[in-house]
Amino acid sequence: MRLLWFFIALVVLGPWLSEYGLKLASEALILGLYAMAFNLLFRQTGLLSFGQAAFFGLGAYTMALLVARGGWPFPATLPLAFLVSALGALVIGFLSIRLSRIYFTMLTLAFAQLLYAVAHKWYAFTGGDNGITDLRPPGIWGESLFYYYAVLFLFALGVFFLWALERSPFGYALRALRDNRARAEAVGINAFGHLLLAFVISGALSGLAGALQGALQRSVFPDYLFWTRSAEAILATILGGSGVFLGPAIGATVFLLLRVVVQANTEYWPFFLGTLLLLMVLFFPKGLGGLALEMARKWPKGERRGASGS
Amino acid sequence: MDLGFYALQLLTGLAYASTLFLLSVGLSLIFGAMGIVNFAHGSFYMLGAYFLYAFTRGQADGFWGGLLLVLATGFVIGAFVERIFIRRVYARPEEYQILLTYALLLIIEDLVRFFFGTGYRAFPMPQAFAGPLFLFGTPFPSYYLFLIGLAAISALLLGLFLYRTRLGAWIRAATQDREMLEALGVNVPLLYTVVFGMGIALAALGGAALLPMQAATPGMAVDAVINAFIVVVIGGLASVWGALLGAVLIGLVQALGVLFLPEWAMVFPFALMALVLLLRPWGLLGRPPAVRT
Repeated sequence: MRLLWFFIALVVLGPWLSEYGLKLASEALILGLYAMAFNLLFRQTGLLSFGQAAFFGLGAYTMALLVARGGWPFPATLPLAFLVSALGALVIGFLSIRLSRIYFTMLTLAFAQLLYAVAHKWYAFTGGDNGITDLRPPGIWGESLFYYYAVLFLFALGVFFLWALERSPFGYALRALRDNRARAEAVGINAFGHLLLAFVISGALSGLAGALQGALQRSVFPDYLFWTRSAEAILATILGGSGVFLGPAIGATVFLLLRVVVQANTEYWPFFLGTLLLLMVLFFPKGLGGLALEMARKWPKGERRGASGS
Repeated sequence: MDLGFYALQLLTGLAYASTLFLLSVGLSLIFGAMGIVNFAHGSFYMLGAYFLYAFTRGQADGFWGGLLLVLATGFVIGAFVERIFIRRVYARPEEYQILLTYALLLIIEDLVRFFFGTGYRAFPMPQAFAGPLFLFGTPFPSYYLFLIGLAAISALLLGLFLYRTRLGAWIRAATQDREMLEALGVNVPLLYTVVFGMGIALAALGGAALLPMQAATPGMAVDAVINAFIVVVIGGLASVWGALLGAVLIGLVQALGVLFLPEWAMVFPFALMALVLLLRPWGLLGRPPAVRT
């Protein structure tokens, strides 16, 4: 129910926003989708991916290349961006989900940087660090209000999908693997297959977010694949609270507002990002969402919020 | 294409492997004893290079003193970081330990940008290595021999330290069973400070030693830590000899790659790592885990 109110508020909000406000709100939704895709892994499986940018960038480049070189209409590229990122996640996941969570984290970072290096150097195909620019979405897609609603629709679709996934047998199996892998495997859950599928879903949704961001910004550069782009999903998640279902989306909004303020005053944004992450990890590991839930628990409003987490 | 040419490639590969070893062995050591993967490891490697530059003001005659100073500073900074930050998260799930070192990676990169700027910082070749040496009639930089010697001596000293001293035995014991070690009266938190300091000092030394061959940039930290990951994944995490084997393999693969397919050279280390992951995921010299998590 609360989820529904949240979306109604976002729909009503649209016409009230300025051109700049719409751009920022669209970006917040895109980053929110991206962070929630990251958190599908982090929250449900305990896998900490430092390479989500690989899929964000794969989606963005798929969209950009199809539009700029293939002449495709923008909306038609979205399913392909989704598929290509899923395929990328399948390959990287197949290699990275082998041994332990620590290996997974190291390897996702490494493979994402490999893709970055390729995009950076392969001028003939990706345009190198000149990127692919002038991606003007056709007709109504270029209008900020319409684009905001399009992004909102896809965001909502993604969120409902993740919500349903969490409650599905698949979601239960993932959490069982997270909490006690040996026991989960003993009852017959195929760990590698389940984790790989979760990784592919997470990658595909990240790719969708990347394609949407590319069209919003009307250009795609190698920094879509850069490791600091992965850090954005991580920070948004930690900021909002990884243990709360909508936490990453809330974190994404706070994150973007902070970025607007900080970047107006200093170019040392990664320093700020790192310091914030450090402080969150040391002192508020549950994030803003976790803090809010704790507050709600201290002053209970009746019994209906007995179940926590979403 | 004569013998000298191939010998030169071999030496180039080994020289590169030497700095890779210094970089990765600390990562392995820290993970082995403390169970923490230090994502900021490359950042300290980068700091080593910048510190050498700062200590000597970019002058070649201060090279030897600067190198020693980098080693000492690296140890102090490592010990300091362990005390101030890492110590607070031992009791936390490993994700938060990783996130903490990841935050340091972000912070240090921007600090370097702030203090040293975004440009290259190059260092002249020290006087002692000014002239080339000849191998089968092909000239090669004499500095290669210094790098290889430095790594060989470091590996030897580290081996002696770990297998012939009391402190080394404790560090090895920490990789096996921390609680038992603590029960036997060893001050494990202090041991961790020492291990972290040592690992960081080695990485900083590696970064400084490479500086006369390769200029420092703020972007080198993340590339370095990824190279270190590739090395330890191939050799086996938590294994000093694995780091040595991994570094030599990657050094040679890189040198051969540049020789035959220069455009794809960067991909070869990854390809080798993928192969190891498929065939022997715990690394060539690593131990297969009893329970997969």
